Amino acid sequence: MTYTLISVSSITYAMKAKTLLNNTGRYCEIERQERNSRVGCGYSLRIKDDPQTVCEILERAGIAIKGRQTVERGR
Amino acid sequence: MRQIYFDNAATTFPKPPSVIEAVKLATERLGGNPGRGGHAFSKAASEAVYKTRALVAEFFNAEPENTVFTQNCTHALNLAIKGVVRPGDRMVISSFEHNSVSRPAYALMKRGVRTEVCEVGKSDDETLENLEGLLKGDVRCVVFTAASNVTGRISPIREIAELCRRRGICFIVDGAQACGVLPISLKDGMNFLCTAGHKGLYGPTGTGLLISDGAYPLSTVIEGGTGATSGELEQTGFMPERLESGTLNTVGIAGLGAGIRYVKTMGIKKIRAYEDELCGVFIEGLSKTDGIKIYRRGGGFAPIVSFNIESIPAPALSNALSLRGFALRGGLQCAYLAHRSLNTLPDGTVRFSPSVFSAERDVRLLCEELKKICKTGL
Repeated sequence: MTYTLISVSSITYAMKAKTLLNNTGRYCEIERQERNSRVGCGYSLRIKDDPQTVCEILERAGIAIKGRQTVERGR
Repeated sequence: MRQIYFDNAATTFPKPPSVIEAVKLATERLGGNPGRGGHAFSKAASEAVYKTRALVAEFFNAEPENTVFTQNCTHALNLAIKGVVRPGDRMVISSFEHNSVSRPAYALMKRGVRTEVCEVGKSDDETLENLEGLLKGDVRCVVFTAASNVTGRISPIREIAELCRRRGICFIVDGAQACGVLPISLKDGMNFLCTAGHKGLYGPTGTGLLISDGAYPLSTVIEGGTGATSGELEQTGFMPERLESGTLNTVGIAGLGAGIRYVKTMGIKKIRAYEDELCGVFIEGLSKTDGIKIYRRGGGFAPIVSFNIESIPAPALSNALSLRGFALRGGLQCAYLAHRSLNTLPDGTVRFSPSVFSAERDVRLLCEELKKICKTGL
Protein backbone atom coordinates (compact mmCIF):
# COMPACT_ATOMS: atom_id res chain seq x y z
CA MET A 1 0.00 0.00 0.00
CA THR A 2 1.42 3.34 -1.03
CA TYR A 3 0.29 6.70 0.24
CA THR A 4 1.68 10.18 0.59
CA LEU A 5 2.00 12.34 3.67
CA ILE A 6 1.82 16.07 3.01
CA SER A 7 2.90 18.24 5.93
CA VAL A 8 1.19 21.55 6.61
CA SER A 9 1.92 24.16 9.23
CA SER A 10 -0.98 23.72 11.63
CA ILE A 11 -4.12 21.81 12.53
CA THR A 12 -6.18 24.69 11.09
CA TYR A 13 -4.49 24.38 7.70
CA ALA A 14 -4.80 20.60 7.90
CA MET A 15 -8.54 20.92 8.54
CA LYS A 16 -8.92 23.49 5.77
CA ALA A 17 -7.03 21.21 3.38
CA LYS A 18 -9.09 18.18 4.35
CA THR A 19 -12.35 20.09 3.76
CA LEU A 20 -11.08 21.35 0.43
CA LEU A 21 -9.97 17.90 -0.76
CA ASN A 22 -13.08 16.13 0.50
CA ASN A 23 -15.20 18.70 -1.36
CA THR A 24 -13.43 17.72 -4.59
CA GLY A 25 -14.03 14.02 -3.94
CA ARG A 26 -10.52 13.22 -2.71
CA TYR A 27 -10.12 11.08 0.38
CA CYS A 28 -7.80 12.48 3.00
CA GLU A 29 -7.02 11.86 6.65
CA ILE A 30 -5.21 14.06 9.14
CA GLU A 31 -2.36 12.54 11.12
CA ARG A 32 -0.06 13.85 13.79
CA GLN A 33 3.43 13.77 12.25
CA GLU A 34 5.45 10.75 13.38
CA ARG A 35 8.62 12.78 13.61
CA ASN A 36 8.88 16.43 14.45
CA SER A 37 10.36 18.85 11.98
CA ARG A 38 13.08 21.30 12.98
CA VAL A 39 10.45 23.69 14.34
CA GLY A 40 8.53 21.09 16.31
CA CYS A 41 5.27 19.17 16.12
CA GLY A 42 2.91 19.34 13.20
CA TYR A 43 0.20 17.66 11.19
CA SER A 44 0.14 15.82 7.88
CA LEU A 45 -2.49 14.90 5.35
CA ARG A 46 -2.52 11.26 4.37
CA ILE A 47 -3.62 11.00 0.75
CA LYS A 48 -3.89 8.30 -1.91
CA ASP A 49 -4.44 10.59 -4.90
CA ASP A 50 -1.71 11.95 -7.11
CA PRO A 51 0.37 14.09 -4.70
CA GLN A 52 1.37 16.59 -7.37
CA THR A 53 -2.27 17.38 -8.17
CA VAL A 54 -3.15 17.58 -4.46
CA CYS A 55 -0.24 19.92 -3.72
CA GLU A 56 -1.29 22.18 -6.59
CA ILE A 57 -4.87 22.33 -5.25
CA LEU A 58 -3.64 23.19 -1.77
CA GLU A 59 -1.17 25.81 -2.91
CA ARG A 60 -3.82 27.47 -5.04
CA ALA A 61 -5.91 27.78 -1.85
CA GLY A 62 -3.01 29.44 -0.04
CA ILE A 63 -2.06 26.39 2.04
CA ALA A 64 1.71 26.18 2.34
CA ILE A 65 3.20 22.70 1.92
CA LYS A 66 5.89 22.08 4.51
CA GLY A 67 6.98 18.65 3.28
CA ARG A 68 5.99 15.61 1.26
CA GLN A 69 6.81 11.97 1.86
CA THR A 70 5.77 8.84 0.01
CA VAL A 71 5.23 5.84 2.29
CA GLU A 72 5.15 2.21 1.18
CA ARG A 73 3.76 -0.30 3.65
CA GLY A 74 3.09 -4.02 3.53
CA ARG A 75 5.84 -5.05 1.08
CA MET B 1 -41.91 36.66 40.97
CA ARG B 2 -41.40 36.09 37.25
CA GLN B 3 -38.31 37.90 35.96
CA ILE B 4 -38.47 39.42 32.49
CA TYR B 5 -35.12 39.81 30.77
CA PHE B 6 -34.42 42.90 28.66
CA ASP B 7 -30.62 43.06 29.00
CA ASN B 8 -29.76 41.24 25.79
CA ALA B 9 -27.22 43.87 24.73
CA ALA B 10 -25.11 42.59 27.64
CA THR B 11 -25.75 38.89 26.99
CA THR B 12 -28.62 37.25 25.18
CA PHE B 13 -30.80 35.08 27.38
CA PRO B 14 -32.30 32.57 27.08
CA LYS B 15 -30.15 30.69 24.58
CA PRO B 16 -31.71 28.63 21.80
CA PRO B 17 -32.24 24.93 22.71
CA SER B 18 -29.77 23.95 19.96
CA VAL B 19 -27.02 25.94 21.72
CA ILE B 20 -27.76 24.26 25.06
CA GLU B 21 -27.68 20.86 23.33
CA ALA B 22 -24.40 21.64 21.54
CA VAL B 23 -22.76 22.69 24.82
CA LYS B 24 -24.03 19.55 26.52
CA LEU B 25 -22.81 17.27 23.72
CA ALA B 26 -19.43 18.99 23.58
CA THR B 27 -19.01 18.60 27.35
CA GLU B 28 -19.91 14.93 27.12
CA ARG B 29 -18.00 14.00 23.98
CA LEU B 30 -15.27 16.50 23.13
CA GLY B 31 -12.89 15.93 26.01
CA GLY B 32 -9.64 16.03 24.04
CA ASN B 33 -7.45 19.07 23.57
CA PRO B 34 -7.92 20.49 20.04
CA GLY B 35 -4.77 20.74 17.92
CA ARG B 36 -2.62 19.17 20.58
CA GLY B 37 -2.27 15.52 19.66
CA GLY B 38 -2.88 12.77 17.16
CA HIS B 39 -5.32 10.63 19.15
CA ALA B 40 -9.02 10.30 18.44
CA PHE B 41 -10.11 12.60 21.31
CA SER B 42 -7.90 15.45 20.10
CA LYS B 43 -8.95 14.93 16.49
CA ALA B 44 -12.65 15.04 17.38
CA ALA B 45 -12.19 18.29 19.31
CA SER B 46 -10.09 19.76 16.47
CA GLU B 47 -12.78 18.90 13.95
CA ALA B 48 -15.49 20.52 16.08
CA VAL B 49 -13.41 23.68 16.49
CA TYR B 50 -12.65 23.85 12.79
CA LYS B 51 -16.28 23.29 11.88
CA THR B 52 -17.25 26.42 13.84
CA ARG B 53 -14.23 28.32 12.53
CA ALA B 54 -15.25 27.59 8.94
CA LEU B 55 -18.85 28.53 9.73
CA VAL B 56 -17.80 31.86 11.28
CA ALA B 57 -15.53 32.55 8.30
CA GLU B 58 -18.36 31.91 5.86
CA PHE B 59 -20.79 34.02 7.93
CA PHE B 60 -18.45 37.03 7.98
CA ASN B 61 -16.82 36.58 4.55
CA ALA B 62 -13.40 35.72 5.93
CA GLU B 63 -10.89 32.90 5.59
CA PRO B 64 -10.91 30.24 8.36
CA GLU B 65 -7.26 30.95 9.21
CA ASN B 66 -8.08 34.64 9.76
CA THR B 67 -10.82 33.75 12.22
CA VAL B 68 -9.54 33.82 15.80
CA PHE B 69 -11.48 32.57 18.82
CA THR B 70 -11.26 34.86 21.82
CA GLN B 71 -12.86 35.02 25.25
CA ASN B 72 -15.13 37.94 24.37
CA CYS B 73 -15.23 41.11 22.27
CA THR B 74 -13.02 43.06 24.71
CA HIS B 75 -10.32 40.42 24.31
CA ALA B 76 -10.61 40.60 20.50
CA LEU B 77 -10.43 44.42 20.48
CA ASN B 78 -7.36 44.40 22.73
CA LEU B 79 -5.62 41.91 20.44
CA ALA B 80 -6.42 43.99 17.37
CA ILE B 81 -5.67 47.46 18.76
CA LYS B 82 -2.52 46.55 20.68
CA GLY B 83 -1.39 44.31 17.83
CA VAL B 84 -1.51 47.13 15.29
CA VAL B 85 -0.59 50.32 17.15
CA ARG B 86 3.02 51.17 18.10
CA PRO B 87 4.41 53.89 20.40
CA GLY B 88 4.50 57.16 18.47
CA ASP B 89 1.44 56.24 16.34
CA ARG B 90 -1.79 58.22 16.16
CA MET B 91 -5.17 56.54 16.42
CA VAL B 92 -8.72 57.81 16.19
CA ILE B 93 -11.66 56.34 18.09
CA SER B 94 -15.30 57.41 18.09
CA SER B 95 -17.03 59.24 20.92
CA PHE B 96 -19.46 56.32 21.26
CA GLU B 97 -16.86 53.67 22.11
CA HIS B 98 -17.27 51.12 24.85
CA ASN B 99 -14.52 50.98 27.47
CA SER B 100 -13.20 47.93 25.62
CA VAL B 101 -11.83 50.44 23.10
CA SER B 102 -11.36 53.61 25.15
CA ARG B 103 -9.45 51.90 27.97
CA PRO B 104 -6.91 50.15 25.69
CA ALA B 105 -6.56 53.50 23.88
CA TYR B 106 -5.98 55.26 27.21
CA ALA B 107 -3.44 52.64 28.27
CA LEU B 108 -1.64 53.07 24.94
CA MET B 109 -1.56 56.86 25.44
CA LYS B 110 0.63 56.22 28.47
CA ARG B 111 2.99 54.32 26.12
CA GLY B 112 3.31 57.18 23.67
CA VAL B 113 0.32 56.62 21.38
CA ARG B 114 -1.69 59.73 20.51
CA THR B 115 -5.43 59.08 20.61
CA GLU B 116 -8.03 61.46 19.26
CA VAL B 117 -11.79 61.16 19.69
CA CYS B 118 -14.09 61.65 16.71
CA GLU B 119 -17.41 63.08 17.84
CA VAL B 120 -20.40 61.13 16.51
CA GLY B 121 -22.58 63.76 14.83
CA LYS B 122 -26.32 64.27 14.61
CA SER B 123 -26.15 62.75 11.14
CA ASP B 124 -23.82 60.25 9.47
CA ASP B 125 -22.55 63.02 7.18
CA GLU B 126 -21.55 65.07 10.20
CA THR B 127 -19.75 62.06 11.72
CA LEU B 128 -17.88 61.43 8.47
CA GLU B 129 -16.94 65.10 8.22
CA ASN B 130 -15.63 65.05 11.81
CA LEU B 131 -13.62 61.93 11.05
CA GLU B 132 -12.18 63.25 7.80
CA GLY B 133 -10.91 66.28 9.70
CA LEU B 134 -8.97 64.01 12.04
CA LEU B 135 -7.44 61.85 9.32
CA LYS B 136 -4.97 64.50 8.20
CA GLY B 137 -1.37 63.42 8.69
CA ASP B 138 -0.27 59.95 9.75
CA VAL B 139 -2.97 57.91 11.45
CA ARG B 140 -2.22 54.26 12.15
CA CYS B 141 -5.74 53.10 12.88
CA VAL B 142 -9.36 54.08 13.31
CA VAL B 143 -11.65 52.23 15.72
CA PHE B 144 -15.42 52.61 15.50
CA THR B 145 -18.27 50.75 17.03
CA ALA B 146 -20.68 49.41 14.41
CA ALA B 147 -23.57 50.16 16.76
CA SER B 148 -23.41 51.92 20.11
CA ASN B 149 -24.00 49.71 23.14
CA VAL B 150 -25.72 52.66 24.85
CA THR B 151 -28.11 54.04 22.25
CA GLY B 152 -27.89 51.48 19.44
CA ARG B 153 -26.84 54.24 17.02
CA ILE B 154 -25.43 52.62 13.88
CA SER B 155 -22.16 53.97 12.47
CA PRO B 156 -21.61 54.46 8.70
CA ILE B 157 -19.09 51.62 8.61
CA ARG B 158 -18.80 51.28 4.82
CA GLU B 159 -18.11 54.98 4.35
CA ILE B 160 -15.55 55.00 7.18
CA ALA B 161 -13.88 51.92 5.68
CA GLU B 162 -13.58 53.75 2.37
CA LEU B 163 -12.04 56.82 4.03
CA CYS B 164 -9.51 54.55 5.75
CA ARG B 165 -8.79 52.44 2.69
CA ARG B 166 -7.97 55.50 0.56
CA ARG B 167 -5.47 56.67 3.17
CA GLY B 168 -3.93 53.28 3.99
CA ILE B 169 -5.28 53.38 7.57
CA CYS B 170 -6.13 50.21 9.45
CA PHE B 171 -9.84 50.10 10.35
CA ILE B 172 -10.99 48.13 13.39
CA VAL B 173 -14.69 47.65 14.07
CA ASP B 174 -16.38 46.76 17.36
CA GLY B 175 -19.27 44.59 16.16
CA ALA B 176 -20.52 43.52 19.59
CA GLN B 177 -23.99 45.07 19.18
CA ALA B 178 -24.21 44.59 15.42
CA CYS B 179 -23.28 40.96 14.69
CA GLY B 180 -26.36 38.80 14.43
CA VAL B 181 -28.64 41.84 14.09
CA LEU B 182 -27.12 43.81 11.20
CA PRO B 183 -25.71 42.27 7.99
CA ILE B 184 -22.11 43.14 8.85
CA SER B 185 -19.10 41.34 7.35
CA LEU B 186 -15.61 41.94 5.96
CA LYS B 187 -17.37 42.92 2.73
CA ASP B 188 -18.04 46.25 4.46
CA GLY B 189 -14.34 46.99 4.11
CA MET B 190 -12.97 46.87 7.65
CA ASN B 191 -9.62 45.16 8.33
CA PHE B 192 -10.69 43.75 11.69
CA LEU B 193 -14.13 42.86 12.93
CA CYS B 194 -14.27 42.11 16.65
CA THR B 195 -17.35 40.70 18.28
CA ALA B 196 -18.79 38.77 21.18
CA GLY B 197 -20.15 35.27 20.75
CA HIS B 198 -22.65 35.60 23.60
CA LYS B 199 -24.77 38.51 22.37
CA GLY B 200 -26.50 38.56 18.97
CA LEU B 201 -24.80 35.33 17.90
CA TYR B 202 -26.52 33.49 20.80
CA GLY B 203 -23.41 31.57 21.86
CA PRO B 204 -22.37 30.91 25.47
CA THR B 205 -20.49 33.48 27.56
CA GLY B 206 -16.72 33.17 27.29
CA THR B 207 -16.76 33.28 23.51
CA GLY B 208 -15.65 36.04 21.16
CA LEU B 209 -14.22 36.51 17.69
CA LEU B 210 -11.44 38.45 16.02
CA ILE B 211 -11.94 38.32 12.27
CA SER B 212 -9.38 39.80 9.94
CA ASP B 213 -8.85 40.34 6.23
CA GLY B 214 -5.19 39.40 6.73
CA ALA B 215 -3.86 42.79 5.57
CA TYR B 216 -2.31 43.74 8.93
CA PRO B 217 -0.15 41.17 10.73
CA LEU B 218 -0.62 41.54 14.47
CA SER B 219 2.04 41.57 17.14
CA THR B 220 1.04 39.47 20.11
CA VAL B 221 -0.27 40.39 23.53
CA ILE B 222 -0.22 36.79 24.82
CA GLU B 223 2.33 34.13 23.90
CA GLY B 224 2.38 30.43 24.70
CA GLY B 225 1.55 26.94 23.50
CA THR B 226 -0.19 26.81 20.15
CA GLY B 227 0.26 23.17 19.18
CA ALA B 228 2.50 24.35 16.34
CA THR B 229 6.19 25.31 15.95
CA SER B 230 6.71 24.02 19.49
CA GLY B 231 10.45 23.56 18.93
CA GLU B 232 11.01 27.32 18.79
CA LEU B 233 10.90 29.98 21.51
CA GLU B 234 9.58 32.52 19.02
CA GLN B 235 5.77 32.72 19.04
CA THR B 236 4.06 30.87 16.16
CA GLY B 237 4.00 33.20 13.16
CA PHE B 238 0.89 32.07 11.33
CA MET B 239 -2.77 32.60 12.01
CA PRO B 240 -4.96 31.75 13.80
CA GLU B 241 -2.62 29.86 16.16
CA ARG B 242 -0.43 32.97 16.60
CA LEU B 243 -3.26 34.62 18.55
CA GLU B 244 -4.72 31.50 20.17
CA SER B 245 -2.16 30.49 22.78
CA GLY B 246 -3.44 28.07 25.38
CA THR B 247 -6.23 25.52 25.26
CA LEU B 248 -9.27 26.66 23.32
CA ASN B 249 -12.77 26.81 24.77
CA THR B 250 -14.03 23.80 22.78
CA VAL B 251 -17.35 23.67 24.62
CA GLY B 252 -18.04 27.36 24.14
CA ILE B 253 -16.95 27.24 20.51
CA ALA B 254 -19.32 24.34 19.82
CA GLY B 255 -22.12 26.38 21.43
CA LEU B 256 -21.17 29.43 19.38
CA GLY B 257 -21.39 27.35 16.21
CA ALA B 258 -24.91 26.31 17.16
CA GLY B 259 -25.77 29.95 17.92
CA ILE B 260 -24.61 31.11 14.50
CA ARG B 261 -26.53 28.30 12.80
CA TYR B 262 -29.61 29.47 14.73
CA VAL B 263 -29.11 33.06 13.52
CA LYS B 264 -28.59 31.83 9.94
CA THR B 265 -31.77 29.78 10.10
CA MET B 266 -33.82 32.62 11.58
CA GLY B 267 -32.27 35.17 9.22
CA ILE B 268 -30.72 38.46 10.31
CA LYS B 269 -33.39 40.48 8.50
CA LYS B 270 -36.18 38.73 10.38
CA ILE B 271 -34.37 39.00 13.73
CA ARG B 272 -33.78 42.72 13.31
CA ALA B 273 -37.33 43.37 12.12
CA TYR B 274 -38.77 41.63 15.18
CA GLU B 275 -36.47 43.36 17.68
CA ASP B 276 -37.02 46.74 15.97
CA GLU B 277 -40.74 46.16 16.31
CA LEU B 278 -40.35 45.58 20.05
CA CYS B 279 -38.28 48.76 20.36
CA GLY B 280 -41.05 50.55 18.48
CA VAL B 281 -43.66 49.18 20.91
CA PHE B 282 -41.51 50.37 23.81
CA ILE B 283 -40.94 53.88 22.43
CA GLU B 284 -44.57 54.26 21.34
CA GLY B 285 -45.77 52.95 24.70
CA LEU B 286 -43.93 55.74 26.50
CA SER B 287 -44.33 58.50 23.94
CA LYS B 288 -47.15 60.26 25.79
CA THR B 289 -45.63 59.87 29.24
CA ASP B 290 -44.28 63.03 30.82
CA GLY B 291 -40.83 62.80 32.33
CA ILE B 292 -39.41 60.09 30.04
CA LYS B 293 -36.41 60.98 27.94
CA ILE B 294 -35.36 58.64 25.14
CA TYR B 295 -31.86 58.95 23.68
CA ARG B 296 -32.38 58.55 19.96
CA ARG B 297 -31.34 61.19 17.47
CA GLY B 298 -30.16 60.97 13.85
CA GLY B 299 -29.11 57.91 11.85
CA GLY B 300 -30.29 54.31 12.19
CA PHE B 301 -30.41 52.22 15.34
CA ALA B 302 -29.73 48.66 16.36
CA PRO B 303 -32.49 47.28 18.65
CA ILE B 304 -31.41 49.11 21.81
CA VAL B 305 -33.23 51.97 23.55
CA SER B 306 -31.62 54.10 26.24
CA PHE B 307 -33.88 56.22 28.41
CA ASN B 308 -34.19 58.10 31.69
CA ILE B 309 -36.97 59.28 33.94
CA GLU B 310 -36.43 62.85 35.03
CA SER B 311 -35.23 63.19 38.63
CA ILE B 312 -34.59 59.44 39.08
CA PRO B 313 -30.96 58.34 38.68
CA ALA B 314 -30.60 55.48 36.18
CA PRO B 315 -29.07 52.98 38.66
CA ALA B 316 -31.93 53.61 41.13
CA LEU B 317 -34.50 53.15 38.37
CA SER B 318 -32.98 49.88 37.15
CA ASN B 319 -32.81 48.62 40.75
CA ALA B 320 -36.48 49.50 41.21
CA LEU B 321 -37.37 47.75 37.95
CA SER B 322 -35.44 44.68 39.06
CA LEU B 323 -37.55 44.52 42.26
CA ARG B 324 -40.64 44.69 40.02
CA GLY B 325 -39.36 41.78 37.88
CA PHE B 326 -37.71 43.56 34.94
CA ALA B 327 -34.01 43.09 34.15
CA LEU B 328 -32.62 46.19 32.41
CA ARG B 329 -29.14 47.65 32.59
CA GLY B 330 -28.89 50.99 34.36
CA GLY B 331 -25.79 53.16 34.66
CA LEU B 332 -22.89 53.77 32.30
CA GLN B 333 -23.01 50.40 30.49
CA CYS B 334 -19.16 50.41 30.52
CA ALA B 335 -19.19 53.29 28.02
CA TYR B 336 -17.78 56.43 29.66
CA LEU B 337 -17.11 58.20 26.35
CA ALA B 338 -20.63 57.59 25.03
CA HIS B 339 -22.20 59.01 28.18
CA ARG B 340 -19.82 61.98 28.13
CA SER B 341 -20.99 62.60 24.57
CA LEU B 342 -24.67 62.19 25.53
CA ASN B 343 -24.21 64.42 28.58
CA THR B 344 -25.55 61.67 30.84
CA LEU B 345 -22.67 61.43 33.32
CA PRO B 346 -22.45 60.43 36.14
CA ASP B 347 -25.58 58.25 36.38
CA GLY B 348 -25.97 57.24 32.74
CA THR B 349 -29.17 55.78 31.35
CA VAL B 350 -31.37 52.72 31.61
CA ARG B 351 -31.07 50.43 28.60
CA PHE B 352 -33.83 48.33 27.09
CA SER B 353 -32.54 45.62 24.75
CA PRO B 354 -34.78 42.79 23.52
CA SER B 355 -33.88 39.54 21.77
CA VAL B 356 -35.78 37.14 19.53
CA PHE B 357 -37.08 35.50 22.70
CA SER B 358 -38.63 38.69 24.08
CA ALA B 359 -42.41 38.99 24.00
CA GLU B 360 -44.47 42.03 23.03
CA ARG B 361 -46.79 41.59 26.02
CA ASP B 362 -43.77 41.83 28.34
CA VAL B 363 -42.67 45.06 26.64
CA ARG B 364 -46.17 46.46 27.26
CA LEU B 365 -45.98 45.36 30.93
CA LEU B 366 -42.66 47.22 31.25
CA CYS B 367 -44.20 50.36 29.74
CA GLU B 368 -47.07 50.19 32.24
CA GLU B 369 -44.63 49.85 35.12
CA LEU B 370 -42.58 52.81 33.91
CA LYS B 371 -45.72 54.92 33.55
CA LYS B 372 -46.63 54.09 37.17
CA ILE B 373 -43.14 55.10 38.32
CA CYS B 374 -43.39 58.36 36.37
CA LYS B 375 -46.65 59.13 38.08
CA THR B 376 -45.91 58.08 41.64
CA GLY B 377 -42.12 57.89 41.86
CA LEU B 378 -40.07 54.96 43.16
